[in-house]
Amino acid sequence: MRFENYLKSEVSLKAILILSVFIILLIGGFTYKYITNLTYSQKLVNQTYNVNLQLKQLVSQLRRAENLHKNYILTKDAYYVNTYLDTKKSVNTTVQELNNLIGATNQQSQNLKTLDQLINDLYLHFSKINTFTENDSVDTKIYNSLYYEERLIMNDIINQTDIMYNKENEHLITTYQKEEEYTNYIEFTPLFYFLTLLVILMFIVMAYIKISNDLKLIKAKNELLLISKESSNQSEIIGKYGNWIWHVEANTFQYSDNLYRMLGEEPNAFEASPHNFLKFVHPEDVQKLTDGLNKMMDSKELPFINYRIIEKNGSIKYLKAYAKSIYGLDGQKRVLGTTTDITEETKNLLVLEERNLELERNNKELTAFNYAASHDLQEPLRKIQTFVSRLQEKEMLNISATGIQYFEGIKSAVVRMRLLIDDLIHFSKANKPHEVYVRKDLNTLFENAKKDLAEIIEEKKAEIITDKLPEARIIAFQIQQLFSNLLSNSLKYSKKDTSPIIKINYSKVISAAESHLSKAVEGSYHKITVTDNGIGFEQKYSNKIFELFTRLHNKQDYSGTGIGLSICKKIVENHKGYIFSKGESNIGAVFTIYIPIHP
Amino acid sequence: MYNDYINIILADDDDDDILFFTDAFENLKIKTKVKVFKDGIELMDYLTTEDALMPDILFLDLNMPKKSGLECLIEIKDNPKMSEIVVAIYSTSASEEDIEKTFVLGANIYIKKPADFIKLKKVLSKVVSINWQYHTNNLNKNSFLLRL
Repeated sequence: MRFENYLKSEVSLKAILILSVFIILLIGGFTYKYITNLTYSQKLVNQTYNVNLQLKQLVSQLRRAENLHKNYILTKDAYYVNTYLDTKKSVNTTVQELNNLIGATNQQSQNLKTLDQLINDLYLHFSKINTFTENDSVDTKIYNSLYYEERLIMNDIINQTDIMYNKENEHLITTYQKEEEYTNYIEFTPLFYFLTLLVILMFIVMAYIKISNDLKLIKAKNELLLISKESSNQSEIIGKYGNWIWHVEANTFQYSDNLYRMLGEEPNAFEASPHNFLKFVHPEDVQKLTDGLNKMMDSKELPFINYRIIEKNGSIKYLKAYAKSIYGLDGQKRVLGTTTDITEETKNLLVLEERNLELERNNKELTAFNYAASHDLQEPLRKIQTFVSRLQEKEMLNISATGIQYFEGIKSAVVRMRLLIDDLIHFSKANKPHEVYVRKDLNTLFENAKKDLAEIIEEKKAEIITDKLPEARIIAFQIQQLFSNLLSNSLKYSKKDTSPIIKINYSKVISAAESHLSKAVEGSYHKITVTDNGIGFEQKYSNKIFELFTRLHNKQDYSGTGIGLSICKKIVENHKGYIFSKGESNIGAVFTIYIPIHP
Repeated sequence: MYNDYINIILADDDDDDILFFTDAFENLKIKTKVKVFKDGIELMDYLTTEDALMPDILFLDLNMPKKSGLECLIEIKDNPKMSEIVVAIYSTSASEEDIEKTFVLGANIYIKKPADFIKLKKVLSKVVSINWQYHTNNLNKNSFLLRL
């Protein structure tokens, strides 16, 4: 998963969380208000109930007092007086209770005061009547009117309590009505809450699934990271390189374990910092490395820096460093560097360079030798030949028969010497493989070779039959030399009594179809065969004849130097081709050359 | 007066070769005057003197002490007074490299010293009888090396 997706999921998770918290708080608020309302109405109902209860109690207490008073009038028993007087106390308590319940402000408290007044009136009448009873003047007019008044007061009290009772009920009913509206409103709310909570729950479940999926993913990624870190550790060891990270803003460094090992230290043996690292760097290379690091501050890529370090044990290592700066997701600049141990390569290179120098020296010496061979060796030889020719011209008549024989010996030895020198020069020329390849018509080169040998062809009355040859990318003078040597070879080793017939055949071949080319690198080759009817050779010498100075016949009969075919092999090999020979004694020889078509 | 003789200068350090050379001209019975210098310095000293007689043909050996034939050739072709001298390179070897160099530097012919006195005489008689005007106009790398 890519980082943007992680971010996306993180944002959506945050949104879900905030939304959920908001809705839960909202629901909490609503619920609190709902419960407060319920408590309030509960209290109200309780109060109404209590007020009504106390009113009923008050009425019953007053009725009891009235009865007790009547009993006293009938019996004149003092016990009743005391008892009904006692009721006064409980009536007062009840009134006090009511006062507490009703409070001081509303209309009910006004009603209570009126009631209290009436109760006091009642008890006042009781005592007035008592006075008449004690004097036995019960049939007087005043007594009767008092008695009547008492009954009126009692009625008033009942009425008053009814008023209060009704009032209280009325209050309750209005409250209930209000409550009912509210209830209608909140009846729908719980369902809404429920649904909302359900949705939130769904969200949270979704979020949970997402988080757990992400966690799984992260776990898998961590696993991969762990594996790749381990494998990178291993490859660092095998590949002899180490990594380092430079956190530019914080100016802190991180070195991989193998970087420490490359310095000959244990991992984390010292704090990763340029200061500590530079302690290992060869004094001559410190400046170069420091400059490179400084350049890193403003460039994106650090070119390769080669430097040396000195390990604690004193051995010198060659390192190569490369670094690149990157910006992380957090916008922080980091420089990632790789340092490779190139000690072995460098040492090999030094050895190689030395060898190359040596080779170059050898080549120069060889060139000098060739020069000497072609100039200095030829000069005395030429002089011997010239002196011999002068002697032959002027002094031949003065020499004895034996002298002439010796003289001829000198002559043929000198000719042979010259032949050898010329062939050696040719061979050394064939040794130079760095010649220029050009596209040339092989027919022309063959004709040139034939021209060089025109004299001997004429002399031996040789017949040369040639296929049409192709064009090829070759080193022209070497291929001409090759043709020349092969022709000269066939002419030289011709039968004394038969005029030589030399056939040159050409075909284009695919290496898979040729038994000779089982080890060939290229796909297709020019195949040229030179077939003669000369003295041939035994097949067992077919490889040996290409060796330098190898001769199969004595030099009295055949004038070869044993170099010509070596030159042929050299030239063919220079062209990444192959040469093979096939011989049969007294029948002839076949030389087969393969030159790659696309070298 | 001078027209009766062909003025020839040979610059060669090898006594035997000088002997063969002068013997050959004596044998040829061509009217020649042969002047010999044994190294490049001697040759150039002579050629740069005020009243020096410019040769008709200069036979120049390449391998000489003190100053090589190649150096002499460069100086001669650089000097307007001498640049018209016909220069025949006269050397033991005929390496491709030497032929190429001397051809480019403006030598007129390249002679590989023959190994046979009779052949030498043939070569020298051919060289002195060349019409240089014609030869130089038709000079190319193939005709540069003298073949008999």
